[in-house]
Amino acid sequence: MQLKVLLFATLKDRAGANHITLDLPDDSSSVAHVKDALVGRFPALAPSMPTAVCAVNQEFAEANQIVRDGDEVAFFPPVSGGSR
Amino acid sequence: MSVYPEVYRLAPEPLDLDALVAEITVPETGAVCVFSGMVRGETNREGYQSSTQRLEYEAYEPMAVAKMQQVAREIRERWPLVQGIAIVQRVGALEVGQNTILIVCASAHRDQGCFEGARYGIDRLKEIVPVWKKDIRPDGVGWIEGHYQPNAADRDDG
Repeated sequence: MQLKVLLFATLKDRAGANHITLDLPDDSSSVAHVKDALVGRFPALAPSMPTAVCAVNQEFAEANQIVRDGDEVAFFPPVSGGSR
Repeated sequence: MSVYPEVYRLAPEPLDLDALVAEITVPETGAVCVFSGMVRGETNREGYQSSTQRLEYEAYEPMAVAKMQQVAREIRERWPLVQGIAIVQRVGALEVGQNTILIVCASAHRDQGCFEGARYGIDRLKEIVPVWKKDIRPDGVGWIEGHYQPNAADRDDG
């Protein structure tokens, strides 16, 4: 399957890319597995992954959620919008 | 969907508060509460001290707008008399003193949830709306990360 992976903020900087296409041999997979595959491809992401938030097709997803071919999977740090 | 006007937007251009209030008020509105955030140049809180020259905001746009709508729905569940709602977040590079966010809640009377809705709106935005800011300081640059870990209840179907 092929996933469209989006990265934001710290994760984007660490990977040096804001969107990548991830090819995985399986027909479906868990978010946790996608995370591992992503770190395999971009080892620099490892320090950000323990606190990274995942969204699948623009909705929050937990580690055991299943993703399928064509899904949009985003990883990002805990949000920090609003004011400051 | 509410019968009252609503605005949810990521804005690359400076925010116009008067225009936004006009957009979400109706003849039955008598009270409007606005939370307005700005870029703070000097931070001194709980022993932490820092200077900011500029902030750069980035958003996951379609999800951010969807989550703003979810925040507004949550406001309406809690304060059903709230009328118009606007949530507008600036994106891009912002200088000290510039407006970064407007949360506007309207109601017929001041005791019908406009204060509470605006407060809830900014607190909730900082939990579930995917926006991040990069802090440009005299001594370095770094993304500011929040602390909130969303759970199943933060899903729109949660």
